[in-house]
Order: sequence, then structure tokens, then C-alpha cells
Amino acid sequence: MTKKVLIIEDDKFLRELLGKKLSSLGYNVVLAVDGEEGLEKIKSEKPNIVLLDLILPGINGFEVLEKSKKDPTINEIPIIILSNLGQSEDIERGLKLGAKDFLVKAHFTPQEIVNKLQAVLN
Amino acid sequence: METINQEIEKREDELRKIRLAFLNILEDTQEAKNLAVEERNKTMAVINNFTDGLLVIDKENKVELMSPAIKNLFKEKEDNILGKNIFKINSKKIDLKPLKEILKQKKEIFRKEAELENGIFWEISTSRFDFGEKKGMLIVLHDVSRDRLVEKMKTEFVSIAAHQLRTPLSAIKWSLKMILDGDVGNINKDQKELLEKTYSSNERMIGLINDLLNVTRIEEGRFLYKPEKMQIEGIIVNVVQECEEIIKMKKVNVKFEKSKKMLPPVIIDEEKMSLAVQNLLDNSLKYTPEKGSIVISLEQKKDDIVFKIKDTGVGIPVDQHERIFIKFFRGSNVIKLETEGSGLGLYTTKNIIESHQGKIWFESEEGKGTTFYFSIPYKV
Repeated sequence: MTKKVLIIEDDKFLRELLGKKLSSLGYNVVLAVDGEEGLEKIKSEKPNIVLLDLILPGINGFEVLEKSKKDPTINEIPIIILSNLGQSEDIERGLKLGAKDFLVKAHFTPQEIVNKLQAVLN
Repeated sequence: METINQEIEKREDELRKIRLAFLNILEDTQEAKNLAVEERNKTMAVINNFTDGLLVIDKENKVELMSPAIKNLFKEKEDNILGKNIFKINSKKIDLKPLKEILKQKKEIFRKEAELENGIFWEISTSRFDFGEKKGMLIVLHDVSRDRLVEKMKTEFVSIAAHQLRTPLSAIKWSLKMILDGDVGNINKDQKELLEKTYSSNERMIGLINDLLNVTRIEEGRFLYKPEKMQIEGIIVNVVQECEEIIKMKKVNVKFEKSKKMLPPVIIDEEKMSLAVQNLLDNSLKYTPEKGSIVISLEQKKDDIVFKIKDTGVGIPVDQHERIFIKFFRGSNVIKLETEGSGLGLYTTKNIIESHQGKIWFESEEGKGTTFYFSIPYKV
């Protein structure tokens, strides 16, 4: 069964790179460029998993996370934070709000991100 | 008759001499008084024009003397300060509690920093005096709010810049890795080699950004540090474990000699202490050639827990011992080795240890090895 992954990321190049990697591995990739669109697509697309950036135009990633966890129709969908923040407060806050994992972009390769994503999906 | 006259003249002469002596004494006293007044005026002029706040309190803690700067610092009128007990002065505009807390300590204080309220920082020094009958204390308050503000702006700038830099670096990392992994088609051996070198340069840049972020965190984190009572031992075990891959790759023998007896717990910030230990181990690993050895140990010495890491690495040239903890400094011998490094590791480590009221020092001989030590007091 094809898994659907939603990538919420405002940087076009990063979004495309990761989208390409996931598509080539057989995932169904959905993209969102900001917080509002991201939240909307979690609801409309019901992905199997979400990769969420934190610093986004409009509502930020923490708010997206918080709102999605408060909405009973989508709060079961696992969210992995993929951000360039990475101080312990940010990580703590993200995990407390219900993120499954916290990955610092610059510290992971696309393949490693996919591995993390698969681990959560299984 | 003649003898009587002679006697009178003699007396008169004596009286004249006495009068003269009195006049001299009077003159001396006047002079001494003038000198004293002059000295007092001088002292007062110094105090009145002092930009720092000066307070002299007597043995009953009453304010005997104050410099005008105190009025601005306390945001209060002189009448509400002078002659009052320092612990009972309450300013409506600023909470003096942090100052009083520091003054409660019996010992003398040298440039201890306190945050009075958001954004207002004072450097407090005290000095006791005892001139027999006269006992008391001199308090000097130096306003460092502006310095702290500038420092904060600087660290915020570096922090934002570093975070912003991470995004393009991630893009470079991801695309290079995808090309290297063959995700977008095959590449030949020469291309692969070149791209691998590019990839590792980029990794260095990411590492450098991490170091910069750590430094700014340390600099801005002087006050927000999460102390917890715990054993340092666990931290060391974790750090060594995390480095396992590099240890294997470098074929260096790393041993952690635990203390035979149970060590008392110390109050530390786990994240920062891990970083300090990590930096020291990273250095040893980086600068110890293959088949070398690194021995870490932990022991109790008087009131301190002493950490020791001894390596058989390249050592630090004697003429550079003094500069080793300076930000961005790197030893001339290790620069030649071309190993990567930012010159921020030891600077960060020193800051961390000192924020735990600890000390850090080392012994090193070029070509033979280096031993770094740090001590953390466990009775705080």
C-alpha cells in the first residue's frame, strides 16, 4: 500500500529535494509551503505521516502541531519535526506537543530522514 | 628691689614665650583642621562624581554615606536611603531583593553580577572595614545593563545568522548526498571523489555553525542554566558511547577508569556538562594518532570532583599554553595537521565549567600528549 507523506516546508529547493527522494522510493508525496496550507492538507489529504518545518510564514510549525493534536479528526496522524532549530528547548517543546521525532535538517541526509520516517510508520 | 624687678621681667618673658607657644599650637590646629576639611572635600568630590554607586553602611547596616549615582540606581530620593537600614530600604520602582540577597552573605564579594529586574544588571562588590570603633562595609554598584544589552544583541544576531545559514547548508548536503547515492543517475569515480570532498567540506561548515551556536548559547545562557543534582559518571559513559564509531575508526584505545568508591552527586546542567566532556574527548580523539590511548578518570579530591582526560596526542606547544582557551584560537601544530576545528571547543568548555563554579586546567608536552582536568565543587 502506498503511503502518503505530507511535507510542510517553505524552502522550495528543500521541498523539491525531499519530495523527489520520497517519490523515487514509491511514496505518494503531498507538498505544502506554509502553516495554513499545511494544516488544511493534513485535514483534506489525511496523510499517513507529516514532515513539519518549524519556521514558516504565517502560523509556525509549533502552532500547526498544536492545532492538529487538538483536532480529533487528525490527531492520530504522526508528525515528525524537520527543522533547523534544534536547541533543547525547541526539541522539548516539539516532543511535548506530540511530535514523534525531532530532526535537525542539517544533521540528516535524505536517506536518514526516510529511515526515521519508516521507523515511525512501522 | 632689683631682684624683684628682675624676677618680674623673667616671668613676663616666660609668659610671652607661653603665649607664642599657644599661638603656634593654635595655628597648627587650624592648619590640621584645614587639611582635614580639604581631604574631606576631596573625598566627597570623588564620591559625588563617581559614576558607580557607592554606599557605606555602618555595623547596624545603616547607610552612612552614598554617592549621588545611588539615587538613579535605586530610583529613590536621598531621604529614603541615607540613614536607613539597607535591608529595609524599599524602592517603589525597582525590587532590591537580589541586592539584599547578595549583601546577606557574610563574606566579601567581588564583581558579582545580579539581575535586578528584566534587563537591569548590576555588578556588586563589597569590602568590609574595621578601624577599631568604626566597623562597616563599602558597597560598590556598577551598572552593566548596557553591556548586557549589547552582548544580548550580538548573541541574538549570531544565533539568527547561524540558524539561517543552516537552511542553504541543508540543501547542499541533501543534493550532494542524493547525487552521491545515485538517486539521480550514475556518476563516475572522479566525479564521485570530488563530490565526496565537497560533501565533507559542507559537513565541516555545518559543524562550525553548531559550534558557533553553542558559543552564543553559552554566552547568553549565563543565567538560564538548568541545574540538577546528579552523577557526572553517567554523562561520561554516554559521551564515550556516542563517540564509539570514531573511536573504532581512529583505532585509539579509550578507557574510562571509574572511581572505586561512590562519588557524591554534583549540581550540574546535564546538556552543558555533556557538551564540555564531549569537547574534551573530541579534542583528544582528533589530536591523538592511530593506536594512541586516551584515559578518562574521575575522582574526589577534598570538596571537588575532578575529571581527568589524558591522551598520547600531539600536545600543545609551550608558547601557546596561555592562549589555549581563547575564542577561535588553534594551536600552530594542529593547524598544520589540517584536522578540522573551529577554535571554539575549549572556549565553550571553559565557560561551561566556570558557570558551574568549577576550574579547568591542563598539562601538556608537545609530541607526548595532553592531560586536561576540570573540577566541580560538590558542596554548593
